[in-house]
Amino acid sequence: MDDKILLNILHEVQDKNGYLSEKNLKEISVKHQIPISRLYGVATFHTMFKIKKQGKYIIELCGSPSCLLNNAREIENFLEKELGIEIGDTTKDKMFSVYKTSCIGCCDEAPAMLVNGCPYTKLSVKRIKEILKELRKNANS
Amino acid sequence: MQILRETNLEGLKLAQKIGKEKVLKILEKKGLVGRGGAGFPIAKKWKLALDTKANERYLICNADEGEPGTFKDKFILKNNSETMIEGMLIACYVLEVKKAFIYLRGEYDYLREELEEKIKEVIGKSGMNVSIDIVRGAGAYICGEETAIMQSIMGYRGQAMYKPPYPTVSGLWGKPTVLNNVETLTNVPQALLYDDWNPNYRLFSISGDVNHPGVYEWELGVKMSTILDSVKPKEKLKAMSFGCFGGIMPVDIKAKISQDSICKENCQHGAYSIIFIGEKHNIVDINLSIAKFYTFESCGKCTPCREGTVRLLNILKKIRDGGCNDEDLEMLKELAQHIQDTSLCGLGQSCGNHILTGLKNFKEDYTRCLKK
Repeated sequence: MDDKILLNILHEVQDKNGYLSEKNLKEISVKHQIPISRLYGVATFHTMFKIKKQGKYIIELCGSPSCLLNNAREIENFLEKELGIEIGDTTKDKMFSVYKTSCIGCCDEAPAMLVNGCPYTKLSVKRIKEILKELRKNANS
Repeated sequence: MQILRETNLEGLKLAQKIGKEKVLKILEKKGLVGRGGAGFPIAKKWKLALDTKANERYLICNADEGEPGTFKDKFILKNNSETMIEGMLIACYVLEVKKAFIYLRGEYDYLREELEEKIKEVIGKSGMNVSIDIVRGAGAYICGEETAIMQSIMGYRGQAMYKPPYPTVSGLWGKPTVLNNVETLTNVPQALLYDDWNPNYRLFSISGDVNHPGVYEWELGVKMSTILDSVKPKEKLKAMSFGCFGGIMPVDIKAKISQDSICKENCQHGAYSIIFIGEKHNIVDINLSIAKFYTFESCGKCTPCREGTVRLLNILKKIRDGGCNDEDLEMLKELAQHIQDTSLCGLGQSCGNHILTGLKNFKEDYTRCLKK
């Protein structure tokens, strides 16, 4: 293999493709001379790498105690109800995938979540409604 | 704040002027210790790597803070990354490192582009012939552990390895490797340059049921009353949790936050993250939330942690749902202790601490949940 950092290679491909498909992994394997079994092992070890097609927006709700103390449960319940899916699922229109994640380091602005890697903080039901509306609008424009 | 003082490459210039031996002596004399939780003296760590004969050495800046309730490294990355990069360059100079890495946690990827710019800028100004590459983490807490982070950089699953050999002897690609975190490296040029640099200042990440959460800088031994005056509790406080692995203890207004006072409650200060918990919350719920974290983040390599964290979570769920009796509490305690005693790395060795201290300090919350 060459001396490029594997995590960075996987990120770059995922940034372009939205997830790491079998075809992607095969191409990386040939290009960088890394066994595909190892690529699969590394990809599935990390929660941020996805090997299945995702929604346009990946929402990662913070599951830290700091968020829990600041009504994160209410946000979680509302999101599930509003999107009609459970944590870990993708909406039928392939717009949103929702996950719960370990602490994202926004405890001083809890509750918080990442949408495609960008932090959204001080969440409330009202704010979630606005964020979802905005994201839908951006997706269709 | 001491941590925000800029050094504008003066620390590096001083280091290059006085030479590596004197740099190590100053860092030792000034008492700069690692800020990751273990408090290992930085000069000692650097010497260990220097004493290992090698044609190449590596430096890793650990920016993979993932301990729930911790966000102080993010604060530095946002507000004083130049000084941190200068700290890395001083380390590169002393340790004769040509290739260094910043392992940036995936959750902070939005800070990456600006950090890349800063790296280019600072290296350019320094005139040094070194490279600092950002490794993009991807959401694995265990990669903050020193052997796992190296596995991850080398392109393997980020699982913890047996020690020895220690990284300073055989680290990345078998070469001596020094790992320091963001806060530690930021302190390097500041400690070298400023006579009034205080070794006892620590960054505290404060969150939970308070009106003014955030990053604060206090001296070790700070009074709890001082902390509470600054952070303003939202309601009467019942407990404080030191991140996830430090344990949970009652809030004592007269207490001072030092290693000794915390140890009496069987807690550890860790990275000085304090999550304040108000009176309306049941500690079982907090323990359950932390247990989910450990189950999710266990790397799966050793059996006690891989299997044990799941069992702990299941028992806690059963307790919360009112399906347990006294015997289950004993089982929970025994299991938590057993996992701590037999796990391979720091994650497993600390995963039961929040439960053991929760059971010890807040038994009434547990008994309230028991089968009537």
